[in-house]
Amino acid sequence: MTERILIIDDDEQLMKAYKEHFTELGYQVDCASEIEEAQTLLAYFQYSVIVTDLRLSKLGFDGLNLVKYVREQALPTRVVVLTGYGWPEIKAEARAHGVDVFVQKPTKLSTLAQTINALTGVEA
Amino acid sequence: MKESLLDNILDPSHLSVRFQPIFRIHEKLHQVCALEALIRGPKGTNFERADILFDYVRRKRVEAAMDRTCFEAICMKAKELPSQFRINVNVHAVTLGQKPGFTDFFWKLADRCSIPMERFTIEIVEHAPSCNIPTLMDTVTALRDSGARIALDDVGLGQSNYRMMLDCQPEYFKLDAYFVRSLKHYPRRKAVVESVVKLATAMQGSVVAEGVECVDDLLELNRIGVEYVQANLLCSAMTLEELLATGLLGHHHQEQALVYQASQPLGGIDKGPGKLLVSA
Repeated sequence: MTERILIIDDDEQLMKAYKEHFTELGYQVDCASEIEEAQTLLAYFQYSVIVTDLRLSKLGFDGLNLVKYVREQALPTRVVVLTGYGWPEIKAEARAHGVDVFVQKPTKLSTLAQTINALTGVEA
Repeated sequence: MKESLLDNILDPSHLSVRFQPIFRIHEKLHQVCALEALIRGPKGTNFERADILFDYVRRKRVEAAMDRTCFEAICMKAKELPSQFRINVNVHAVTLGQKPGFTDFFWKLADRCSIPMERFTIEIVEHAPSCNIPTLMDTVTALRDSGARIALDDVGLGQSNYRMMLDCQPEYFKLDAYFVRSLKHYPRRKAVVESVVKLATAMQGSVVAEGVECVDDLLELNRIGVEYVQANLLCSAMTLEELLATGLLGHHHQEQALVYQASQPLGGIDKGPGKLLVSA
């Protein structure tokens, strides 16, 4: 079965690049650029992995809220957070809310792919 | 800048409309009497599915804007339908309960598309636990006074409760598919259907059963006294063009157009499960 991943970001160009790359790797990729869109998709599809930025200022919400939502709904989904912040306290809070992996921004697509492959058990 | 999902779906040109016939069922004949207009979201997206589309709309709390957009999309297509068929349009209760009212918008658009109000049935969809009931009742009265009929959607589920039956006094009670499946094997479901038929009759209304999937259920509904059926078993939801191509609406033979006879009389239909008589 094709693994399905959800990418949430406020940068359309970046999201397009993610989608093209992970689709080429064999994933079924959905993108959301706002929290209601993400929540709706999460209600109908089962995602192996969610990739979200921690600070999504343009979208008017914090990526951490989405992580909380995923955990409140008890969704069996691994969460990868992209963050440009190296602050340990932010990471600690996010980890407490159920983030599985942090990836430091900026990152290469290949690095992110390695992370997702490891979480889904998909061989590169 | 790329258009947001919300901008995208609030543009009627990005929505598509399907029509599903509602049949009046008789012992030997099914007669198309109305067409429910069903909306699909932007093509090729996850939001093409109506359930996903309207879930998103409710999360964004833009039901009223969406209902207007849907009505625009529907009118543009419905004006091409043969004029003898009623058109059922879904509207959220919260939309009907908002000021400024939906009614003016509805009237003006229907008039612009030369569709008489008498052809519309407003199906009230209720998903929110509360809406402005006095305004809702005023709007329903205004719509009814202008010739439209009222249906209560998803009776028995969610918020389509007894109060809505009293407040809106619907002409039609649309019974969800959940209650009409495998009636022979589930006497309790049959009891629910019988009670809704009795209730609707006492309120001078009629029952429309949705999602009938097999002939056994169709026959049982007929026996119970359900007057109308909307089901893929008889005809799935289709684009206007597909529907016209079936000949089901028979616009070339107006006298016969209202009567669609199944391939065999109802009592003798092949009882295979899910047999489609007309499909896209």
